[in-house]
Amino acid sequence: MRKFLKRKFNRYLAVFTISFKQEFAYRLNFIMWRVRNVLQIFVTFFLWNAIFYTQDRVVFGYDRSKILTYVFGLIFIRAIVLSSRSIDVAGDISRGDLNNYLVKPINYFLYWLTRDISSKFLNVIFAVGEAFLLFIILRPPFFLQTNIIQLVTFLCALIFAILIYFILLFMVNSIPFWAPELGWGGHFLVSVVIVEFLSGAMFPIDVLPLVFQKILYLTPFPYLIFFPIEIYLGKIQGLMLVKGLTISLFWIIALWFLMKKIWDKGLKAYQAYGR
Amino acid sequence: MADKNLKLRLDNFKKWIPKVILVSKTLFVLSKKSIKSFIFYFKIWLLMSKNSFLGVLTQKKVLLIFLFGKILRFIFFIVFLLFIIKGVNNLAGYSTNQTIFFFLSFSVVDTISQFLFREVYRFRSQIVTGDFDLVLSKPISALFRVLLGGADVMDFITIPPLFAATYYVGSLLNPDVNQVILYLLLILSALIISAGFHILVMSLGIITLEIDHTMMIYRDLSSMGRFPIDIYQKPLRGILTYFIPIGIMMTLPTKALIGLVNIKGAFISFIIAFFIMFLSLRFWNFALRKYSSASS
Repeated sequence: MRKFLKRKFNRYLAVFTISFKQEFAYRLNFIMWRVRNVLQIFVTFFLWNAIFYTQDRVVFGYDRSKILTYVFGLIFIRAIVLSSRSIDVAGDISRGDLNNYLVKPINYFLYWLTRDISSKFLNVIFAVGEAFLLFIILRPPFFLQTNIIQLVTFLCALIFAILIYFILLFMVNSIPFWAPELGWGGHFLVSVVIVEFLSGAMFPIDVLPLVFQKILYLTPFPYLIFFPIEIYLGKIQGLMLVKGLTISLFWIIALWFLMKKIWDKGLKAYQAYGR
Repeated sequence: MADKNLKLRLDNFKKWIPKVILVSKTLFVLSKKSIKSFIFYFKIWLLMSKNSFLGVLTQKKVLLIFLFGKILRFIFFIVFLLFIIKGVNNLAGYSTNQTIFFFLSFSVVDTISQFLFREVYRFRSQIVTGDFDLVLSKPISALFRVLLGGADVMDFITIPPLFAATYYVGSLLNPDVNQVILYLLLILSALIISAGFHILVMSLGIITLEIDHTMMIYRDLSSMGRFPIDIYQKPLRGILTYFIPIGIMMTLPTKALIGLVNIKGAFISFIIAFFIMFLSLRFWNFALRKYSSASS
């Protein structure tokens, strides 16, 4: 059993290493993607910096240091949660390349999860460098969380966020089983529009009226970016924290079963176009 | 003495008459040629746009999903912006309506640019495959073909409601006629700058084969103009005003409508716009000489 697990682990370790090296094959692509991330942070940073022009101003429950920590937190959380390779699955399906994986003795979901982790690992390394550089240039006040419970639950929320996003992507990736031409369209709608706005990646969710917030908290989106950062900032504690983590867990389980169902149906509908 | 002076002046004037007639004739011929050329290119543009529209309309599901995404993104942004400004009263001294109008003006410039210059996003494949040869061998301007050859139907659909929203929010700012004229002139200047940047990106693409990312970085930079340029600190504000004139493109029109820019500002904006256009055209000609026609 141990040998079997070790062999399996080595297999995915090889996928991780190859995927990591592959990222360097398209260096310019990667660097440009990071430059774009930094530019987006610039806009958000200066927007909030203009709003919190005085040190003691408190708006939407944030003071200057907390909102600017939120913006800086976005660099890391986006790198960890939103950077992903599994976005390519839709292309694999629409081109018929999925065949290559179906015949291999490998779990397709684990394969892409491993590739995602590899991509996140590289992105986080760069995010650290960018955050350091931006910190020197912009010199924002920074909120340092020291409460160990908040930090542990923050990490927990982060892992949940990674899983939710991974499953969401796979659901969107399944669209080409039925409509091969809609692969990128689905991603545009879900990843570029809905996730970007409703996850808190653009603005914190709590700028919205309470009714909207309550509705949003029932969806999986705020648990991707907003919820982990709020835990770090200490704005979510106690019962709210437990409730939030429970909803995240619920979404992971519910979305997983839904995705499996969609995927199985999709495989039956799959016609390997282009092969 | 006075008669002598008058006679001298008349003689001088008589000497000038043939020259004036010659210049007028030349101008007339040139303008006639320009109008003819304009009509010729406009007809080609209509034809290319029609083809481009038909191409997109064959995939109605894709069109609908992207259109829905674009509209949703626009609504989300406006809603968030509204609630943020409502919570903080103003942004860098601008009221809610003014801030929304900054965003709408940005959207007008951005959407018209994307509607007109969408073909730029397809230029890389022409360069990489060598298909650009086919464009160069045609008896029309290659720049015209690759810059304006694929108008985007999605942006075309979103333009009328966007104009309506801009008109409505703009009217809430109570501008006078001069301010509106200045605003429209500055939008025109912004579009010239945008065209210049698109030409620069394509020229760079011919030399480096890299277009998509440069284009996206240009778009990210221009998206800094969604908010008034005043929110950015120095030296970034200076860079965005003079080096990459996003401020002039996106912020100045709205400032003109609310009466913060005079005719001098508009004049400077046009000088910068024409300078960028001049530079980009020079660079385009330079880049064409470097085109290797690889893979063809």
